[in-house]
Amino acid sequence: MHRYVPLIPVYLLYGALFVIGSQVSGMWQPMALLAFYAALGQAFNIFMGMTGYVDFGYVAFLALGSYGMALAISSFAESLGAGVIVAGLLLALGMATVLALAVGAIALRLRGAYFAIATIGVNEGVRYLIEGARLWGGSEGIIISRPLREAFGPEGANLLSTFWADTLVYLIAMLAAFITVQYLHSKIGYALMALREDEDAAKVMGVHTTKYKIIAFITSAALGGLLGATGWVLKLTYVFPADVFAVHYTVEAIVIVLLGGAGTLLGPLAGGMIYAALKYWLSISFPGLQLLLLAPIILFIVVAFPQGLIGVLKAKAKGTFWERVIV
Amino acid sequence: MPPALAMLLGNLINGAILGSVYGMMTMGLSLIFGVLKIVNVGHGAFIMVGAYIAFWMFTLLRLSPLVSIPIAIAVGMALGFVFFYIVIRRLVGAPELTTLLATFAIGILLEEIAKFLWGPDYRGFNWEVGKLFLGVTTIPLSKIYALMASIAIAVLLYIWFRKARSGTAIRAVMEDREGAQVCGVNVEAIYALSFAIGLGLTVLGGTLLTLFVPVGIHPYMGGIYTLKAFVIAVLGGLVSPWGAFYAGFIFGLIENGSYTLFSLIPGLEPFSMTQFLAFFLLLVILLVRPTGLLGVKP
Repeated sequence: MHRYVPLIPVYLLYGALFVIGSQVSGMWQPMALLAFYAALGQAFNIFMGMTGYVDFGYVAFLALGSYGMALAISSFAESLGAGVIVAGLLLALGMATVLALAVGAIALRLRGAYFAIATIGVNEGVRYLIEGARLWGGSEGIIISRPLREAFGPEGANLLSTFWADTLVYLIAMLAAFITVQYLHSKIGYALMALREDEDAAKVMGVHTTKYKIIAFITSAALGGLLGATGWVLKLTYVFPADVFAVHYTVEAIVIVLLGGAGTLLGPLAGGMIYAALKYWLSISFPGLQLLLLAPIILFIVVAFPQGLIGVLKAKAKGTFWERVIV
Repeated sequence: MPPALAMLLGNLINGAILGSVYGMMTMGLSLIFGVLKIVNVGHGAFIMVGAYIAFWMFTLLRLSPLVSIPIAIAVGMALGFVFFYIVIRRLVGAPELTTLLATFAIGILLEEIAKFLWGPDYRGFNWEVGKLFLGVTTIPLSKIYALMASIAIAVLLYIWFRKARSGTAIRAVMEDREGAQVCGVNVEAIYALSFAIGLGLTVLGGTLLTLFVPVGIHPYMGGIYTLKAFVIAVLGGLVSPWGAFYAGFIFGLIENGSYTLFSLIPGLEPFSMTQFLAFFLLLVILLVRPTGLLGVKP
């Protein structure tokens, strides 16, 4: 049971966010924002943090997950009723996984900058294919507010997008944390750590690097798909290709993982919460200038703390009681 | 000649001309990657800076974009030295994670400064210097000047790389960093110089680009050119500025030629399909020939 001890602070934090959000009036949305970014960081971290490969097209998985949910609702909302949410989650999971398999088979042969460029290419390629071939509504996207209202009634649809969508994000975040702990303490985690340090050496030592990279890649992508389906589509009730494929979200995920500490359990959680809180505060205090202020902050972090907050704490905690908790 | 064929020919000529500018601005990206092993994800923001230089020089001082060429190179190089010594110097050899994020953040910074100073509006200008009639198409002379300027810059750069001491030092660092250091090359100075020249070329590319996008100058215009530059750089082998220059022509031809073909197929959005084709090509090249279409060595 040792390995699950570090999950206690993680779940306490998510629980605290949920309780503050539901009890203090006006705090639900800000807390949900924190939870979404923490979840995004945790899902992204499973691949990028553990392998060191930078997937610059990660947002494509959230996008396909969004399309999965939107397609399920727009085609089956009448026949399936409330079960359509489950169908949507499954479709989101499936579409993100299929794309991950395809991308993994192609791009994971590449390393470093070549991998990053290939994944950007995949992201943009899928986006322009949807727009160019007028797939799934083309550049007009899919709007699901009407089928949702028809299937759940106006109040049910409202509750779904203002409460259940965010609650599902919390659950996905907790699932991602659980998987992270599982991986960190299993053969997968050790293999990934070995390949992150030196892929050729790991290969020579008999680690089946491709297998473990693909496992991590698909896990991370599937969780991303679920996040897109819930945190984006169910919440906003639409999906537009120009929005869901924006490179900008991938960069946010990278910032979160780097800020907290790549490859750690607590890192993406801390990074996501700090990033979301900072972004929220900047957008309220300096409307329109948040990016102008955020860019130098990112540069400072990259130069001054490349190992991230939890990375620094972890080094400090070595040999003390806290070693077990800060993972 | 059937009209579709005439349109294709006309578009191909235009594509080759635009391709020369694409090639020139991607030389900067390839030079920076070749020497520092850093992918400049903020590439497009520097193109935007170049476009604004051309715009303000033209509207405020009535200077033609050709006169703006040295100004663009100077501004780009100055930005290059500033960002190199503040940020990039500390990141050479760091994992991709940090360098990609840092260059993206530099891009955001430039875009937001541009928006803060000049607002989010679309701007443009039209430099009228007459036209060239070619039968299948009519080409503004301004574009011909852009083509000649691109080729001239590429040739000058080539001569500098071959003949000048600093140029050969850059090639030496590209090939073998430690070896160059042992031979007495100041590697950090070469990094700074390559980064600055790379950005100088990129900003210059933005200046020449304004002759092709009459009303497309705004703070966020760069994003699509970053992506195009990635495709071109990969076509050219990523580490080779010369490969990038040739690949620019090829990309311009493919982009404009396929636009004509896609627009003949009903039910397709031709512009988006050309972009799709470009990224599809990117993946194929990365898989099949990671050294680039021409297999050019740096």
